[in-house]
Amino acid sequence: MSAWATWTASAALLIAAGSASDRSWAAVRPCIPELGARQLELSAGQGVLLGVLGGLRTLVADVSWLRSYVLWERKEEAGCEALMRLACTLDPHARYFWEQTGFAVGLDMANWEIRRRGGYARVSKEVQDHVFAAYARKGIAVLEEGARTSRNRAPFLIVAGQLAEMKVRDQRMAATYYRAAAESEDAPWYAARFAARTAWEAGDRAQAYAWYRDHWSSVLRVRHEDRAPDDLAELRMMEDALGVPAMRRIPRQPWER
Amino acid sequence: MKSAVSIRNLTKDFAVGMRGLKLRAVDDVSIEMPAGQVFGLLGPNGCGKSTTLKIALGLVQPTSGTTSILGDGAASPEARRRTGFLPEAPYFHRFLTGRELVRYCARLSGVGEDGLDDAVGRALELTAMSSAADRPVGTYSKGMLQRIGLAQAVVHGPELVILDEPTAGVDPVGAAAIGGMIAEMRSQGRTVVLCSHLLGQVEQVCDRIAIMDRGMVVLQGAVDEVLAGRDRHLIEVSSLTREAESAAREALARAGAVVEGVSRPRRTLEELFRELVTGSKDA
Amino acid sequence: MTMDALRRTHWIARITFLEAVRQRLFSFLLLLGAALAVSSVAFRFLNFGHGELKFVADFGFGILFLFGSLLAVVMTAQLLYAELDNRTALTLLAKPVSRSEFLLGKFLGVWAVLGVFIVLLCSILAGVLLTRAAEIAPVAEAAGRVPPSVNAAGLAIFALLQWMRLGIIAALTLFLAAGARTFLFSVVAGMLAVLGGQLQWLAQDLLTKPDVGFFQRSLAWFATRAVPNLQQFNIGDALVLESAGAPAGAAASALLAGSLHLLAFLFLACALFRRREI
Repeated sequence: MSAWATWTASAALLIAAGSASDRSWAAVRPCIPELGARQLELSAGQGVLLGVLGGLRTLVADVSWLRSYVLWERKEEAGCEALMRLACTLDPHARYFWEQTGFAVGLDMANWEIRRRGGYARVSKEVQDHVFAAYARKGIAVLEEGARTSRNRAPFLIVAGQLAEMKVRDQRMAATYYRAAAESEDAPWYAARFAARTAWEAGDRAQAYAWYRDHWSSVLRVRHEDRAPDDLAELRMMEDALGVPAMRRIPRQPWER
Repeated sequence: MKSAVSIRNLTKDFAVGMRGLKLRAVDDVSIEMPAGQVFGLLGPNGCGKSTTLKIALGLVQPTSGTTSILGDGAASPEARRRTGFLPEAPYFHRFLTGRELVRYCARLSGVGEDGLDDAVGRALELTAMSSAADRPVGTYSKGMLQRIGLAQAVVHGPELVILDEPTAGVDPVGAAAIGGMIAEMRSQGRTVVLCSHLLGQVEQVCDRIAIMDRGMVVLQGAVDEVLAGRDRHLIEVSSLTREAESAAREALARAGAVVEGVSRPRRTLEELFRELVTGSKDA
Repeated sequence: MTMDALRRTHWIARITFLEAVRQRLFSFLLLLGAALAVSSVAFRFLNFGHGELKFVADFGFGILFLFGSLLAVVMTAQLLYAELDNRTALTLLAKPVSRSEFLLGKFLGVWAVLGVFIVLLCSILAGVLLTRAAEIAPVAEAAGRVPPSVNAAGLAIFALLQWMRLGIIAALTLFLAAGARTFLFSVVAGMLAVLGGQLQWLAQDLLTKPDVGFFQRSLAWFATRAVPNLQQFNIGDALVLESAGAPAGAAASALLAGSLHLLAFLFLACALFRRREI
């Protein structure tokens, strides 16, 4: 083979390899959730680290998490958050990292911020609430991201709902998260009740009852062996409060007391 | 006379440094090496003889000029199949035994499975390496390395054998043994090209020589012709008394010869060494 | 390629393989890798909820990639430069051996050694994973959790993918070494090329975005052709630990793209080595 033919063959093979690589990457990429674009927007360094580590990501994630403890003790917000987020990026399937990062950002860091401004005695209640709400929203964003990459969504949505309820003090927002948690496959038994209660307290009483009743009939009654009697009791209280006519109420169950 | 190696107007420039300065290693060299003879390519270190041989073997590209081996282009597989080459200071895979190395080179040179054992045995015998053939190459002395190198060069029965400094670093006894092997190859009808700066050895084994200096050929021809050019003769006698010397001088003068001087010829150190240590284990 | 050429290539590969397995670097990295893979079970205290098997598998994959890449770069450059510096290349290339056969033989010898490295490490990893999975399963079942599973066939496919990845790295290093003047340069350039290959997916992602300018897109296009995507072989989690496995055809298409890049770098290495003065 002449020199020219070798160079030409090489160039043709490179072009073909690149095209084949475009197609294979589209098929392979979903198998590597660590390479999410969202994380890379946070820091170019994380992207490089992700790329360089062919494996060992779990180990580096753990080391990063341990290191974040040191900064947590020192209450160094930026460094602590960066290391926690790095751990989440490197091992996006680990629920622990996302959940703890959500809590640390949503609760602990708000606490540090209030202390930095002079402490609870010197910072007014309004400012405290404002700080807590702002940090809780950041924490919720972390949890949402975790819910997207993790196989078990419900725990993240429950924690996000709790932050929305207690720190953002937005019952409607909390209800949205609890409802999403209740509708996910790994929903805990209490998620639907949380969703209905917060929506009820937010003032959306009719919608809360309608969703809860539908969810109890189609999911809870089927999923649970005891047919969720506590939820039915909660629904009866709602029917009483809303004054639902007897004909339109949930038919009396044979096992109901 | 048929040429085994033909080099015509060969020039080689090497680029030196980043600026692309040229260093001329071979300068318009033309040499014809006849088939069936031992040809010596002589010259000091860095005179361009190794580069010339590498170009002839197709290992280095010439800047200009042409070379051919046994009538084929230098880089052609056919030419190289009919050629054996021993590079200067050869180094082989240390973990292989001598026999494995020669077998490996025989396979690469196209020796088939049928005649492989015979070919390897003959090459080891020619180079007197049969007894050490099953030892790892890493345990060989310099002389043995040269000889196993020679064995790998001749294992496929080449018509042309090119030896680049085959006796470099070898003691005189080993060098004499290699000289003997070269003579044996000539007697088998092979062409041998010997590249060396050991003039004594070249004089002993070569039929023709070319002397290179600073990339150019300064002299070439048959050894006898080149050396016989000067009108000087040596008569070696023993038991020479004063009277006998006077008588000899007078007799020579009467015959028209001029005696320039009479001295006691010294033995060379190489002759003395070989006389004393012939039969050393490395021989 | 004629039968004679194949035989000569086979012999060069065979000797290269024998030389490579005798190297201390190979034994050292193999032993260290095996020891680390086995001892990864002892690092369970670092487990923050991602599951022990995930940790052990990830650790093993990391060792395979890290040590394998190091071996592929250093060994390829070293074995080529050893032939050139010791002048054994002179002896071989003066025979009816073409330069392409010589390079291909070197590559195949190194690739075979890398195959041995991968098979041994993956076997150890499979042993550790399957043993731990069997130990963990009853505990998980008793706790009402789904017991973890290890897909041995998935691990075999993963090993094949790693062999391709290291083959590409070896071919890329051979290309760089064929043109480079020093061993050190070849190793440093080879390592940087591995880094580039690990980050190539950024350019590949860029090509899929609609709002990218012409200049950026052209740059990304050239980058994705010149540099292989080494990240696409990194689907060990999906193949070994996920019950669903990797999408059908993902491994096959990665192998196809990889083999084309491997061939391209071998051709380039031959083209560069053709004019090299030995």
